[in-house]
Amino acid sequence: MAEISFPLPDLGEGLIEATVLEWLVSPGDQVERNQPLVEVETTKSAVELPSPQAGKVVRIHGGPGDKINVGEPLIVFEVPDNTAGIVGTVPKEEAPKRRVRLSAVLDED
Amino acid sequence: MSNATLESGAAMAEGTARRGVEQLSMQQALNRALDEVLAANPKALVFGEDCGRLGGVFRITDGLQAKHGTGRVFDTPLAESGILGMSVGLAMAGFHPIPEVQFDGFAYPAVNQIVCQIARMNYRSRGTMPMPITLRVPSFGGIRAPEHHGESLEALFAHVPGLKVVSPSNPHEAYHLLKYAATRPDPVIFMEPKSRYWQKGEVDFDSPDPAGSPTGGSPTGAKVMRAGRHLTLVAWGAMVARCLQVAELAAEDGIDIEVLDLRWLKPIDEATLAASVRKTRRAVVVHEAPLTSGLGAEVAQLITQACFDTLKAPVERITGFDVPYPSGDLEDEYIPNIDRILFGIQRVLEYKRG
Amino acid sequence: MDTSPSPLNGNDAGHLSGPHAEPLTAEQLRELYSLMVAVRHLDTSAIAWQRQGLIPGYAPELGQEAAQVGSGYAVDTTRDFVFPTYREMGVARAMGVDMVAYMSTHKATWHGGLYNPIESRLAPIQAVVGGSVLHAVGWAHGQTLDQADGVAMTYFGDGASSQGDIHEAMNFAAVMKAPVVFFVQNNGWAISVPTERQVAGGSVAARAAGYGMPALRIDGNDVVAVAEATRRAFAHARAGNGPVLIEAMTYRRGPHSTSDDPGRYRSLNEERDDAGEDPLERFRKQLLADGIADDAFFAEALAAAKAEEDDIRAGIQALGSRPGTEMFDLVFQETTPALQAQAASWREESEHV
Ligand SMILES: Cc1ncc(C[n+]2csc(CCOP(=O)(O)OP(=O)(O)O)c2C)c(N)n1
Ligand SMILES: [Mg+2]
Repeated sequence: MAEISFPLPDLGEGLIEATVLEWLVSPGDQVERNQPLVEVETTKSAVELPSPQAGKVVRIHGGPGDKINVGEPLIVFEVPDNTAGIVGTVPKEEAPKRRVRLSAVLDED
Repeated sequence: MSNATLESGAAMAEGTARRGVEQLSMQQALNRALDEVLAANPKALVFGEDCGRLGGVFRITDGLQAKHGTGRVFDTPLAESGILGMSVGLAMAGFHPIPEVQFDGFAYPAVNQIVCQIARMNYRSRGTMPMPITLRVPSFGGIRAPEHHGESLEALFAHVPGLKVVSPSNPHEAYHLLKYAATRPDPVIFMEPKSRYWQKGEVDFDSPDPAGSPTGGSPTGAKVMRAGRHLTLVAWGAMVARCLQVAELAAEDGIDIEVLDLRWLKPIDEATLAASVRKTRRAVVVHEAPLTSGLGAEVAQLITQACFDTLKAPVERITGFDVPYPSGDLEDEYIPNIDRILFGIQRVLEYKRG
Repeated sequence: MDTSPSPLNGNDAGHLSGPHAEPLTAEQLRELYSLMVAVRHLDTSAIAWQRQGLIPGYAPELGQEAAQVGSGYAVDTTRDFVFPTYREMGVARAMGVDMVAYMSTHKATWHGGLYNPIESRLAPIQAVVGGSVLHAVGWAHGQTLDQADGVAMTYFGDGASSQGDIHEAMNFAAVMKAPVVFFVQNNGWAISVPTERQVAGGSVAARAAGYGMPALRIDGNDVVAVAEATRRAFAHARAGNGPVLIEAMTYRRGPHSTSDDPGRYRSLNEERDDAGEDPLERFRKQLLADGIADDAFFAEALAAAKAEEDDIRAGIQALGSRPGTEMFDLVFQETTPALQAQAASWREESEHV
């Protein structure tokens, strides 16, 4: 598993920070791309930030009322190292299972 | 193939500096090989559906566009016949196209260009228009994917005069075989076992075969992956790993199995094949493709021809069935499983002449 | 995105002939809405099913509900026949196909789906891009030969429009005056490749002119526009005037498939700018403004969609593997000795490994 961290994006001209109002996801949640993650307030307005990534939330930064600077970590996702191709699944490496036993009288001629 | 005098593409391209060993997945090993081929040959081009910006649906071309530019690594419109037909013209113009078709089953729309054009342009032009085209095809099944994402086309391509066919079985083989294939003057169909893209293994960058097997350190020919005395399992692609598992299980029962990775499905390395079976006197061929007119028939015949006098039993074929590759739920019932291979081995072991 | 019906020379909407259908009634508009909600809810649920391990993969059609429901709604399942791709869940639902049987393809139960294509008038799910477009031409030509009045509708994408088969199909249909509706969902993307780098000239509809076929380029996010354009196209084809192409301009709001990561090739800002208004929300506002439906109706529609999804999920969960013998039994109508022998050895050696 690898972690991928997203910083607070630049929310508009000249804004350098935002205040967390409410997190809409918690660590452990599976979120989809574009799903609202957090409501933050800037000097201009309150906005919901959509998730740039589908994945499992590992950590969130800042609780309600905390200020976060643009470019500082906001949320961390867990992504598998081996992501499947565009279709299908990554096969699991399993210990070999057998039912059949071999028997032979081998004349080593 | 008579390339015994050639060193591996890797050694040639990188000079003599030793580069050592790394743990890589097959996806990473293939990516590395393409990167080096692009760096070494300014005429090499990598293209196909989603190969550029996305880096391919399996990420084999990941990062290559950023590194080598959009002129050399690019997305094409969605048309396989277009991709392969264009490759012909590029080859005529002095390039070395390394196209990708996204999945095995989507090589079919390009069969006209592959079979009627790529495979015979060298012949048609009396050797003046070689077709140095390396067609990468994510191949075989095992990933519970939709229809046409699990096919084994080796027999189809091997049957066509003018095509060479190769399939790696692990990251090390993938790296060396792709570097070699992508520097050949002839068309090579490069079949990547997609179910093994993510498994890691050691890649020794310095030599395709430092241990010195019958292939003599060359990326041509077949390769003994495990030596044994009693029976030879012949396989390629994803089935090599399964056969190695089977060999371990057979050892528990006192049966010592040799596993031969055919690697090149055309041309087939008859000498190594014969040498192995002459020693073990028994052979089982394993492939995912359907039984009838599969490559197993060719292998069995080559063995029979070379080893008839000493063979203890007819060559067994353990293969997929003569059915369209099924949906995920039935996949494990289709692909040769450990028990079916063991059954085949047992039949060979207990065979009595006369 | 320019989605006004394009004034294509000589082959624009004005040249469609055939009887004009009645405008959609309030009842029909509400039905369209209910279908769109059902499809939206099932589609987003299917992504969750994949995340929960219930199905191995899924190709979402988020954002294409208007294009799919509107066109599928125009089909007359007593006589027409539809050829889908792998992303036509909304069409299937609008046509009344059994949705457990449809979704079974995504559970990896059977590639083509388990529904009966003949009875449901929907060809098996097609994984080959552009694979079934020529089939529609053949089916439609069969109608001409039989002097029947069915129309074939075939779906394909902006990406598929690059395939040679698509062009062969358009030319065949036009030469033979076959009753075909080519329904293109231009959703802006073919996996990671945007339409600009896929479709030279920018419009699939414009191709039709070269084949002497009328084309409609419509706002594919307006379900009423889609339903009406499709009905007109059907009427034109049914009246013996030959094929029609509809290019529904829409947007693939989700990933290509559940294992795709669109962040590798497009930003959230681009998505927001290019996607336009959500077709479902847009239709809801329109119905509300026109006094055709109220909040109580919308709540009811959503509740029905949820109940429907519950049933479909339960059906999918309960769906076991197909018996392995089907691998052998369904290859031919007349089996072969080799297949029978292989089936026997499979039964002995590995049935339900
Ligand atoms: C012949 C063929 N080539 C490649 C693929 C892999 N593939 C599946 S969907 C797709 C993109 C299709 O794009 P489009 O036609 O626009 O349809 P959309 O996915 O947007 O619905 C590709 C390349 C395929 N299924 N069939
Ligand atoms: Mg598309």
